[in-house]
Amino acid sequence: MGLSRRDFLKTSIAASTAATVGMPVAKQAAAAVKASEAGWQWDKAVCRFCGTGCGIMVATKDGQLVATKGDPDAPVNRGLNCVKGYFNGKIQSGKDRLTQPLMRMKDGKFDKKGQFVPVTWEQAFDEMERQFRRVYAEKGPTGIAMLASAQKTIQEGYAFNKLFKAGWRSNNIDPNARNCMASAVAAFYSVFGTDEPAGNYDDIEYADTMVLWGANMAEMHPILWSRVTNRRLGHKAARVINLTTFRNMSSDIADLEIIFKPQTDLAIQNYIAREIIARNAVNWDFVNKHCVFATGPYDIGYGMRPTDKFAFPAEKDVQERERRVKLDKYEAIAQRRTEGEIVEQKNTANPAAHWLITFEDFKKAVEPYTLDFVAELAKGDPDEPLEQFKAKLKQLADHYIDPQRKVVSFWTMGFNQSVRGTWVNEQCYMNHLLLGKQSQPGNGAFSLTGQPSACGTAREVGVFCHRLPADRLIPNPAHRAFTEKQWNLPPKTLNPQIGSFYAKILRDLEDGSVKWLWVAVNNPFQSHPNINHWLKAARELDNFVVVSEAYPGVSAKVADVILPSAMIFEKWGSYGNAERRTQHWRQQVMPPGQARADIWQAMEFSKRFKIKDFWGEQKVPGLKAEGYEDGKLPSVLDEAVKMGYSPEDSLYKVLFATPANLKVRWPDAVAKGHPNHVATLLGDGWFPEKALWQEYVPFTRGDGKDLADFDVYHGDKVRGLKWPVVDGKETGWRFNEQYDPYVKKGAGFEFYGKLFKAIPTGDLDKVTDPKPVSVAGKAKIFFRPYAAPVEQPDANYDLWFCTGRVLEHWHTGTMTRRVPELHRAVPAAVLWMHPDDAKARGLKRNDLAWVESRRGKVQIRVETGGRNAMPRGYTYAPFFDEGVLVNRICIDAACPISKESDYKKSAVKVYKA
Amino acid sequence: MDVKRREFMVHVAQGTAVAATGAMLWLYMLRQEARAHPFALRPPGALPEADFNATCIKCGKCVNACPYDTLDLAAAGGDLPIGTPYFIPRDIPCYLCPDIPCMKACPTGALSPELKDINDSRMGLAVIDLENCLSWRGLRCEICHRECPLKGKAITLETHPRPISKHAMFYPIVHSDACTGCGICEKACPTTEAAIRVLPHKMVQGKIGDHYRLGWTFDTEITQDFKPAPPAASSAPPAATPKRAPGMDYLNEGGL
Repeated sequence: MGLSRRDFLKTSIAASTAATVGMPVAKQAAAAVKASEAGWQWDKAVCRFCGTGCGIMVATKDGQLVATKGDPDAPVNRGLNCVKGYFNGKIQSGKDRLTQPLMRMKDGKFDKKGQFVPVTWEQAFDEMERQFRRVYAEKGPTGIAMLASAQKTIQEGYAFNKLFKAGWRSNNIDPNARNCMASAVAAFYSVFGTDEPAGNYDDIEYADTMVLWGANMAEMHPILWSRVTNRRLGHKAARVINLTTFRNMSSDIADLEIIFKPQTDLAIQNYIAREIIARNAVNWDFVNKHCVFATGPYDIGYGMRPTDKFAFPAEKDVQERERRVKLDKYEAIAQRRTEGEIVEQKNTANPAAHWLITFEDFKKAVEPYTLDFVAELAKGDPDEPLEQFKAKLKQLADHYIDPQRKVVSFWTMGFNQSVRGTWVNEQCYMNHLLLGKQSQPGNGAFSLTGQPSACGTAREVGVFCHRLPADRLIPNPAHRAFTEKQWNLPPKTLNPQIGSFYAKILRDLEDGSVKWLWVAVNNPFQSHPNINHWLKAARELDNFVVVSEAYPGVSAKVADVILPSAMIFEKWGSYGNAERRTQHWRQQVMPPGQARADIWQAMEFSKRFKIKDFWGEQKVPGLKAEGYEDGKLPSVLDEAVKMGYSPEDSLYKVLFATPANLKVRWPDAVAKGHPNHVATLLGDGWFPEKALWQEYVPFTRGDGKDLADFDVYHGDKVRGLKWPVVDGKETGWRFNEQYDPYVKKGAGFEFYGKLFKAIPTGDLDKVTDPKPVSVAGKAKIFFRPYAAPVEQPDANYDLWFCTGRVLEHWHTGTMTRRVPELHRAVPAAVLWMHPDDAKARGLKRNDLAWVESRRGKVQIRVETGGRNAMPRGYTYAPFFDEGVLVNRICIDAACPISKESDYKKSAVKVYKA
Repeated sequence: MDVKRREFMVHVAQGTAVAATGAMLWLYMLRQEARAHPFALRPPGALPEADFNATCIKCGKCVNACPYDTLDLAAAGGDLPIGTPYFIPRDIPCYLCPDIPCMKACPTGALSPELKDINDSRMGLAVIDLENCLSWRGLRCEICHRECPLKGKAITLETHPRPISKHAMFYPIVHSDACTGCGICEKACPTTEAAIRVLPHKMVQGKIGDHYRLGWTFDTEITQDFKPAPPAASSAPPAATPKRAPGMDYLNEGGL
């Protein structure tokens, strides 16, 4: 017994007296806060969640994370956070945090049908290794795969990329960024020849008109949205235009809201281009000096499988459109063909091909996109008068064309997650380039990213099946040779054949061509569309699935081995945000229990393999590349021995603990006393996160991607730096001589990206002269036509279905649903629909309904009010809720160029449950 | 109201209490006392509600001491424990006597003598109904701000541009670190029903989580000499593998 009741009363009175009596409430509270903060240690870090990349400060005491705050010195957010960011300090302490490796066991042995049982790291790695060797022996480098992440740290991405591509000679590593940013990347490549935006967030404070194209920034980039709103309120001329398929939170401050039919953004963009030409508003000085015109094939399919062998019966009719498409009325006009024409999809294998055209051809191509045609096609709200919609489209064009207005176009998943995602990205540049409104403060097309390190980790490091670090590509022999040299590999170690992209890895798992899969920092079995296929592939087929996770989510549930991972502040790392800003942080606390950083998992597992296991001859089905025997990777072991390696050397020694890296010692003064559990566990005295960073940066230098040294980012005054960082200075606007040191003096602008800068010449339909013409230094203005979505509502599946995020939850909710406050705020996904649509189906708000597509069905509560207002015919439900796996419904069609899935356009029916 | 009448009223209230000797009524009163009375506005210096109810002997001395007739004693059947002092600001607010006569009159410390400065009193907190506040609707009212005895501290004005005209908005904002809860603003509010009202703190105040600090409110230097915690489990050699681990139950329950 501690306090007596009387003591208790006395203390409680004394303590609470302050609340009602002694004034100094504020002072006292402040003092109490201050006292409670004694001994706190603060360090800078970055928010775990979206691509905005807000700077935060993290406080620790006695090895525990005690608080966070927005970093007032961070130029991105100036001390602010959204409500997810507010909970950075709580995401790692959920009650069911995974702290022990788990493996499916029966009778003391691994068993695919067994129950999860705690095991040691040793046991988990033993089984992973055994299965890996079995699969690798049977299938070679293409039989293994990793679903990687744009939420890995840059160093983790780099380590796994190297392990797969250099160690295991497999290009089957692809990130969830594929489903987030790939269309943006494909367009950056095709238009500029180099990835990532020209502008930066300061564009907001210079812009007059900010146009959102399928970007609900109010919820998805909350802090950027407060900057946009501030600009709108504080600058008299500022206007905000929201183009969307349903009314969302961003409409609240929009001056103009344009609700369009899914995928008709393609037509609206061409209408603007047509207007620019018709009103004689082309900035010819800019276009002549800095641009060329281009187009490509239209018959590129929809990124689905070429075969319907694995399709559910109900899927087959849509699947058929992968091979041949009957043009509807609008497509016929938009593509200058006839209605009802059957078009064989002949360019599914090479959808990214493109060639030069003349301006006259370009003008001819956009000619059909008149206001009347586009308005009739694109009007999304059946209850809006056509004339009103027309007036809005005209106003939109006015904004772009007005020479007095600086215009920024923002987009995210509305563009990117589309079966024509790359095209619509290219079209956005088309209009900015025609007007010369690009790469200047307040003028530019700005691709926002969804994830915290889509840019930094996935894109810059090249953690894709076709990429190598810093804009280098697997099929390019010079890029492979450069990478081999940097990595000190024998020539031809790298596999020249592009690996399987994200969706294909899951399809491979289903068709048996991949049998060993490692998933880390993403949750594909909840987040990838059409999951009924993949759930079955993981659990019912002879596949081995490893999932590195912090919490038991859906992917963990279908795994065979679960590795407990350290979370963001439990390890050293770095992220790169949407404005090319690279930000680093130190480890703040130790991971709980047996949880360990993914980078340690990669390196520790690599110790089990020798170079002779992989660097001998390997079969790679379908491999065809100059200098390689068909279907084979050559042995590079002799060359390796000449370079001083022994066949018995471990991958760990050759890839990670190299002599150069071992010289980067731990502990290091840059740590200021912070721990590093990875360095401690590896135990050989090096500092992996710093060594790998320093190994990586030479890839970026001299090529317009320059990153600074590790210690620079850890400087007390530095809050991230926007690359290219040249002579210690960051770059605000790329391709603009005033700001970008890579632009030739006197050029004004130079689109110096090197990829796809020699292309053939042709007309609107075909190549007429295959001889490549150099377009070095220029950006391409693409003509891309309107194409109908692959699946549209019909008599049976009569409603549109779209999925995405809500502000309160991050992606699949593995973290945010562990924060009780966020879970309480938004405990479950709901289906937004128009009240009339609900009523017609005998449903009202909060009723339980089935949502069913050709692929599957889920039960969900109906919402007819709230934050989104759907036009008749449209529904929306977020994907965070593992109790409502909406990806059972979504189609896994994708942009054939970028391979990014289209989450925004499935056809469903809704009925009472 | 003259002194005699006031004394009479006090006696009536006390009389009710004294007369209430029937067992049923007594139980009723006990229940009343035991219950929290979240809406009661008490005189300056009152202890927290539960302690106040336990300490106040319902003598009425504070009521008699109040020169403004602000205070009254709760009658039977109301929301408050019978015989305890309270006030209704819209009728008569507390005028914040610098010598705090009510507190000085209190024989038990229910109105705590720890209150030395009347401006330190915390009777409640003013809250504004933004929808019906004339100032928040764009009129130039701001009576509450001007009438507030702690004007500029307890109530300040924030100016904001107004999208629909050239005329700025003047938003009154209440600050809990200075508001005494006197209710002069509520009394003065010119709307038919007061758009600013005083409520007990716990009825209106939220709390930001301890895990978060507002970034711009104080500078935080990066700690130059970080002291890591003693080695945690994961850097120590792995302990014996446990039989159970977090997440297992969910992972093993099937159902996908």
